[in-house]
Amino acid sequence: MFDAIDQPRAQDGRAPDVFRPGAWVQMRCYDDSEQVDFAIVGTGAGGGTLAAKLAEAGFSVVAFDAGPFWRPLEDFASDEAAQGDLYWTDERISGGADPIQLGSNNSGRGVGGSTVHYTMIALRWRPDWFKSRSKLGYGRDWPLSFEELEPYYEEAEESLKISGPVRYPWGKRRKRYPYREHPVNASGLVLARGCERIGIDWSPLPLATLSAPRGMAHPCVYRGFCKYGCSTNAKQSVLVTFVPRAIAAGAEIRDLAMVGRIEMGKDGRATGVSYNRRGKWRQQKARHVVVAGYAIETPRLLLNSACPEFPDGLANDNGLVGTHLMTHSGPGVWGVLDEEIRSYKAPPCMAGTEHWNYSDEGKDFHGGYAFMSQGPLPTDWAQTLAARGLWGAALRQEMTRYNHTAGLVLVGETEPQAHNRVELADEKDQYGLRIPRVTFSYSENDRRLIEHGRKSMHQVLAAGGAHQLWDTHDTSHLMGGCRMGDDPKDSVVDADGRTWAIPNLWVCDGSLFPNSGGVNPSLTIQALACRIGDRIAEMAKRGELDR
Amino acid sequence: MPKPVPEPSRRPLIAVGLGGIAAAGLIGAAAWKLWRRAEPADPGKAAERGLRAGAAILSLAVLLDSGIEHYRGEFKNPAMFVAPTLALATLGMTAVEDEAAPYVFSAALAVGAAGVGFHSYNIGKRAGGFDMLNLFYAAPLGAPAALSLAGLFGLAAEHPGIAAPARIAPVAALALLGTAAEAGLLHFRGAFQNPFMFAPVTLPPLAAAVTAASSVSPEAAQVARPLLLGTALLGIAGPIFHSYGIHRNMGGWHNWSQMILQGPPLPAPPAFLGIALAALGLLPALERRG
Repeated sequence: MFDAIDQPRAQDGRAPDVFRPGAWVQMRCYDDSEQVDFAIVGTGAGGGTLAAKLAEAGFSVVAFDAGPFWRPLEDFASDEAAQGDLYWTDERISGGADPIQLGSNNSGRGVGGSTVHYTMIALRWRPDWFKSRSKLGYGRDWPLSFEELEPYYEEAEESLKISGPVRYPWGKRRKRYPYREHPVNASGLVLARGCERIGIDWSPLPLATLSAPRGMAHPCVYRGFCKYGCSTNAKQSVLVTFVPRAIAAGAEIRDLAMVGRIEMGKDGRATGVSYNRRGKWRQQKARHVVVAGYAIETPRLLLNSACPEFPDGLANDNGLVGTHLMTHSGPGVWGVLDEEIRSYKAPPCMAGTEHWNYSDEGKDFHGGYAFMSQGPLPTDWAQTLAARGLWGAALRQEMTRYNHTAGLVLVGETEPQAHNRVELADEKDQYGLRIPRVTFSYSENDRRLIEHGRKSMHQVLAAGGAHQLWDTHDTSHLMGGCRMGDDPKDSVVDADGRTWAIPNLWVCDGSLFPNSGGVNPSLTIQALACRIGDRIAEMAKRGELDR
Repeated sequence: MPKPVPEPSRRPLIAVGLGGIAAAGLIGAAAWKLWRRAEPADPGKAAERGLRAGAAILSLAVLLDSGIEHYRGEFKNPAMFVAPTLALATLGMTAVEDEAAPYVFSAALAVGAAGVGFHSYNIGKRAGGFDMLNLFYAAPLGAPAALSLAGLFGLAAEHPGIAAPARIAPVAALALLGTAAEAGLLHFRGAFQNPFMFAPVTLPPLAAAVTAASSVSPEAAQVARPLLLGTALLGIAGPIFHSYGIHRNMGGWHNWSQMILQGPPLPAPPAFLGIALAALGLLPALERRG
């Protein structure tokens, strides 16, 4: 795994074959001076997906990632500590009333981005959330409707062969998932039992891990290391789905290549990117630049690319870049059961309920939340306990209950607030780039939602047979920072991810989100990327791309 | 504090090992016996031979399938030993002439039915009840019926007077439909990811329809023969396809001890062979009725 960190692997006309140990696939490589159609910054859910779509549409594409190009079958050890390399752990400053802990579950560094270590939950947005201001009276409307995105949800689900339930209890009637649901592990069944006893729906979760063979990828063996790299390729991360597609279609993936700046021409158009690879700064020329670095690195890059024409950062005329950053509140509730649970078996989150995403009855807050069963690995578990203030003999005593503990975790919507934002600090990182300062505080509404969610989880867990319940608090996904909208005064990009200010500069990742919803965002990011890919191809056909 | 849970026992491994060796010996004996017999000219004899062969193959399939699956379930309930034990006894009775045969076959008939009850109870008590999740992954609802069928075929072979071919043919047809339904459910669970997975849900139902018609129409009996031969062939091809399926799981055959359990079930498809052989044996009598 160490050579991947020191030396680029994707170069000289070849890239690692993620399906065969030690093997390579041919990859088209572009010269820095060759003007490619698209330079994409980031290869995660947004960038990696878009790279495949654009390359397949016939565009020349170079996609950059600051991190390594992993070989899943060889690099992903069954060792929690070693897997820390999958995260973005560069220095950042986190502040506000409720500072977000940055660098693990909300980041990814490496080809495939955070999909390499995500928990694979593939849920669609509640249709009303796209019009949450006009229909539900809070948050912001998207410049898109659910119906416009629906075919792209289907495309993303098909591309990842999502293994989902035959009948999903919530949302609009949908086409059957490509693959069937997985068996639910014991901690998922605790949630199921609890939900049934209190009279609400539950469901096996649709997951991006295979329940049947797919090409060179085997079905999931329920190893349980899903919050880290999947060493069996059952996990349908971008690294083993869209990235191989992109390479096969002629895109170049440039690993260990940190983009530090978007280069601008005198005409107010982007001309390419400056990136650091093997300690040297180089420039790639491109007709279009797509930023897909997620909710912190995307605003950071736009701000760091300030130039005389754009002194406040690119696409930031209205000062909105970096603002309205959102996370998902993630309180957890844990309890002890008489029977053996072994929640670390199989993917961590196998069952969940979206009851409070779709039912607004009796809520003293705006927004929604889902919660899921969870299954921490040993170190994660020990850290969770230590964070409760346990130490020494008491910690050891509590750790012995590992096999009998079940937990639930919330994915709670937070409101978009202007003061929750990404800015540039004065400190610089190893590349000499100003590091991001992230400010976050929950709103009063967010706090009421968390409290409501906590109570619901207590109720379900107790009804599921758990006793001696206790609480934790965490956050998960990040969203917003370059929100999309219909009005150039009130948003950074349009519905296609194109920045209002610079016609050949695009954004394609979770930072587009105007609101945060109560489900994991990856599927929505990938649906947006599929849509943006199609939209760009259509615009090119009509000659509207290079306006 | 929670009660300590004992270490998993090796008991299942011993049971399956012994069962496997005994099964191999009995298959040899049965095959020898069948091979020794010449093609019978008498339709009654043909029916008896077919039913006996069908009972033998069904009980062998149940022996291996329930042995492996109940081993996976760690024989948590002692009742889980009953199915493989009785399947072994049934297999034995098809190979040797013994006075105990009718009792063993009757017991198989009853235990198979009880098995369906047990498995239904197992599904019903789980969260979600009879939802797809539990139909996919909890105890298989239809599987124990194969043991009943082995017993029934065994009894029918011994009592040609009561179990006339025209009465057994619809039963065989129903059995084919049930087996196709089970294959359909599990292949649906596998998302029909390989086109060959459609084979057991297309040919056997067709063969079933024509076999059922054969009990009233001798012409249908003639059409049934190629369809039943095809179904029998599926029963032989199935384990080969399933071996390939095991290969397509993590580690494949290098990791056989895990993947025989996680991959597609090797002993399941021969149920088609067993039922088809029994039905083929009935055909000469049905053809002659015209």
